[in-house]
Amino acid sequence: MAGRPDTNATAAGLEARLARLEAIVAALEADDLELEEALALFEEGIQHIRHARELLQRAELRVEQLLAAEDGGVVVQPFERGQD
Amino acid sequence: MSWDPLEAGGGWGEIPAFVAERRTSPRAYTVSAVNAMARRLLEGSVPPLWVAGEVAGWKRYASGHCYFSLRDASARLRCVMFRADAQRLPTEPEEGMQVRALGTLTLYERGGDFQLIVRELEGKGAGGLWRLAFERLRSRLEAEGLLAPERKRPLPRFPATVGVITSPSGAALHDILHVIERRAPWTRVLFCPARVQGDGAAQDLARAMRLFASVRMADVLIIGRGGGSVEDLWVFNEEAVARAIAASPVPVVSAVGHEVDVTIADLVADVRAPTPSAAAERVVPDGAAVGREVALLAARLGAAARRRVSRGREELTVLRDRLGETARAALRAREKRLEAAAGKLDALSPLAALRRGYAVPLGADGRILRTTRQFRPGAPVRLRVVDGRVDCTVDQVWTDAATDGRQA
Repeated sequence: MAGRPDTNATAAGLEARLARLEAIVAALEADDLELEEALALFEEGIQHIRHARELLQRAELRVEQLLAAEDGGVVVQPFERGQD
Repeated sequence: MSWDPLEAGGGWGEIPAFVAERRTSPRAYTVSAVNAMARRLLEGSVPPLWVAGEVAGWKRYASGHCYFSLRDASARLRCVMFRADAQRLPTEPEEGMQVRALGTLTLYERGGDFQLIVRELEGKGAGGLWRLAFERLRSRLEAEGLLAPERKRPLPRFPATVGVITSPSGAALHDILHVIERRAPWTRVLFCPARVQGDGAAQDLARAMRLFASVRMADVLIIGRGGGSVEDLWVFNEEAVARAIAASPVPVVSAVGHEVDVTIADLVADVRAPTPSAAAERVVPDGAAVGREVALLAARLGAAARRRVSRGREELTVLRDRLGETARAALRAREKRLEAAAGKLDALSPLAALRRGYAVPLGADGRILRTTRQFRPGAPVRLRVVDGRVDCTVDQVWTDAATDGRQA
């Protein structure tokens, strides 16, 4: 089981990433940017695509169990799924 | 002291024969004995029976026992429903409500009251007491504004963690995990087990909701169970569950497997799904569709960048002819960066490589296998090719002599 998902490829970040990517593409398509700026945006766009693809390729569903602990806190532990 | 027919003979003329006889009888029964005898007689001769009538004067005491009468046009029957039975009622009946009660006739010896001990009480008409309980709670929650459409929150498009509250043994959990795994396997599922029917289920479900509310570990919650009878699903009409859902800091999707009836949980939840599978579909995006969206954006990004790069080249050509040597050096640096960016365009399109006949080997964990060390004979490997996937097994692994010189 992998540890925490790396910060570049979390589902929560995906929404913002896609929104940013949309904005970058729209800006580049408007075709009125200085070359430097266009290239910087392009490079940023490539990073977003790479991270989005990394996330989408992650294959294994992580299932954990949330339980109340004796001391009033909580315990999160791996959950064993029954056979499909 | 008081008047007694057995003692007051004198003023009434001649004493009738039967009274005279009774006067000589050796003993009189005590009140207790008479009531006990009447009680035995009643209980011993009348089996449990259903009695239909209308409810009058329902009163629940602090003890939890409920007292009322059943009546029709010409008669009235005292009834008592003890706590253990009364607490199974979905709600208390209304005054005048037509009901039928299953119980046993008895005599309450201390008061000499003839009464029916009610074990079960059903309202007549569609849904009976269940319907009444539902409507009562619904109007109460409605009055508080908890069912208002403007309270409904949108679901996050890409939840990192989905909280699931259901039974650990039912099909609902299996269905939910199956759908999320198929659509969005990068998601983390946090499952909190709870009983979904029977005594204590409402408290269980409400406790699980509060647990999620306190830890704030989920971006969206699914609460539900598979289908069942009205009584099986009843817990989703309990006030404790409804209030816990209403208090959730994150959006809640209700998934009570029923086709016809809506539950209170459905009304309070931000989104109602007809089944646990449908709830999972609503909660996570379809990974394949997101992948297509990313591919489309990548294609647009590449096309726009190509246009800008070629325009840049033209601009540079024009400028070079006009400028002096120092400016040219600066331009060359820019040009270099331009070419580097152009090279990256290929990175946008792994599909282009696949189309040329390349395949990408993926391990069981979905990661790309780049070197021979990542292959083991007998291990499964998935090949991503241009139009799909091929599952294979590794036969033998050879490492190039130039890189390692070792055969696995």
